[in-house]
Amino acid sequence: MEGFIIALFVCLVLALISKYLAVPAIPFYILAGIVLGKAGLGIVQSTEISQFFSEIGLLFLLFFMGLELKLDRMIAEPSKLLTAGLIGLVVDMGIGFTAAYLLGFPLIQAFIIGTAFYITSSAIVITALIENRKLMMKEAELIIWIEVFEDLVLIVIIALLSAGDKDLLFFFLKIALALGIMYAIAHYGKEFLVSILDRDDETPILFTFAAVLTTASMAIMFGIPDTMMVIALGAALATTDPEAFEQHARPFKDVFLVMFFVFFGVTIDFASGVDLYTIGILCILAVVSKLISGMLIGLTIFGSALSGLEIWANTISRGEFSIALAVLYGSPVVGTVIAALVIVTTLVGAFTSKYSTWMRRGIVSHSRRRALVHRPHTNR
Amino acid sequence: MSAMALRSLNLPGVGTKYEFETDKGDTVAIFFTRTGTIQMYTLQKGCKTPSAAEMTPVEARRLGNILTGAIIEAEQESVEIAFSALADLRVTIHTFYIPKGIAGKTIEDLQIRAKTGATVIAVCRHDRNIINPAPSFAFEEGDAALVIGESDQIKKFEREIMVE
Repeated sequence: MEGFIIALFVCLVLALISKYLAVPAIPFYILAGIVLGKAGLGIVQSTEISQFFSEIGLLFLLFFMGLELKLDRMIAEPSKLLTAGLIGLVVDMGIGFTAAYLLGFPLIQAFIIGTAFYITSSAIVITALIENRKLMMKEAELIIWIEVFEDLVLIVIIALLSAGDKDLLFFFLKIALALGIMYAIAHYGKEFLVSILDRDDETPILFTFAAVLTTASMAIMFGIPDTMMVIALGAALATTDPEAFEQHARPFKDVFLVMFFVFFGVTIDFASGVDLYTIGILCILAVVSKLISGMLIGLTIFGSALSGLEIWANTISRGEFSIALAVLYGSPVVGTVIAALVIVTTLVGAFTSKYSTWMRRGIVSHSRRRALVHRPHTNR
Repeated sequence: MSAMALRSLNLPGVGTKYEFETDKGDTVAIFFTRTGTIQMYTLQKGCKTPSAAEMTPVEARRLGNILTGAIIEAEQESVEIAFSALADLRVTIHTFYIPKGIAGKTIEDLQIRAKTGATVIAVCRHDRNIINPAPSFAFEEGDAALVIGESDQIKKFEREIMVE
């Protein structure tokens, strides 16, 4: 228990520092976990309590993802989004998967690395767009929709991975039934749900907490993936009063997700047999592949390499979803690789998203100068 | 008029965006972000990079008041509010300081509603506020009366009541 309190305290200090420096906190939480845990000083151990808290963090992350899924308000230009989304999916997952497979990871583990490699961190990307005052750029709107597209892909992948080798027909029937029940409750019980959420006492927050945990444990009881069901619960409740649910679920998400990141770091074990060479290659590729996909998206959608550069600069950071994949489906080796991936890309991403305007300006003025110098010769 | 078209858009994870282009071709975009701050971007026609200002809700309201043309004078304040959804309904709220001439008279005595159409909605006396004073309420010298009505009714109030 003392270890747990130490971890909590360290996180609080790190949160303050990261807010002061205006950089994402996720890499610091993981690093703190690594330093305090198995791979480092060994002060903090993963216990049943910490595992329970981490699990709640993950469930609330996924619940939030479900709440944000409002498919009815999907966008003015779906074809543009689909093109951009598919370019990212094919390029980034392709490069990540191929590289991991060639570096000797088994097929499924390579697929998980590929997915973690592809999915960017919505939280970090969107916070950076707001903080760096880039919301008005045409690229920003596309980036926001690309994040939504990635969430949808992630849901499909979670469904595929958790289906595994089970009896598929029966499995999907059970999921369909559970979805039906949830949507029915949200539809027919809407007034009742809203009346609970409107109260000023502890009931709304208690209800939100209980709904998420009950759904998760019921799902496990019936042999369907709790991750899927919690996302579905969020999506179903989003049809009632999503803002209220977000407000009541936020405290749980904020606290337990931090625990989730730290204890992910704590369980990292360098003795699991992964070499720096593999990690180094994958981290460099993680930055390079987003440059390739960003450039392709920029050239296809906006016809401009500079737009591509801007998209790249803002979509480098991997984060919460990559870690979730590592925790849910990854081996210890994959966990270590993804931890490194998240730390490196978030730090690089924080830098590029902050200074991308300078980069663009630098490139533009440089090419203008060159054009001026060259013009006399071409005119001759 | 098409240039004035206002676009609003819900951006998942970000908030609500409002954008419009002015007749001169400049673009203004406002974002109400989930974090509670308001960001305003302006992009001059022909420019590539917008400039941005981030505001708290209070600061944004202040900016809004300035833009809607509220006159903020040192002594007597007047605020005009326009409800564009209600057939451009305009309501003016004005503060008046009660002169010696009408001190001791009640709202009923002065026949404020009948003569001007305006309504006294609050009176500030010695740093105390009296909201919705009754018709039997008697003014004292130095009271600040908050009067609401159309701008014509306010002008009438100034001409006919304040001089008595």
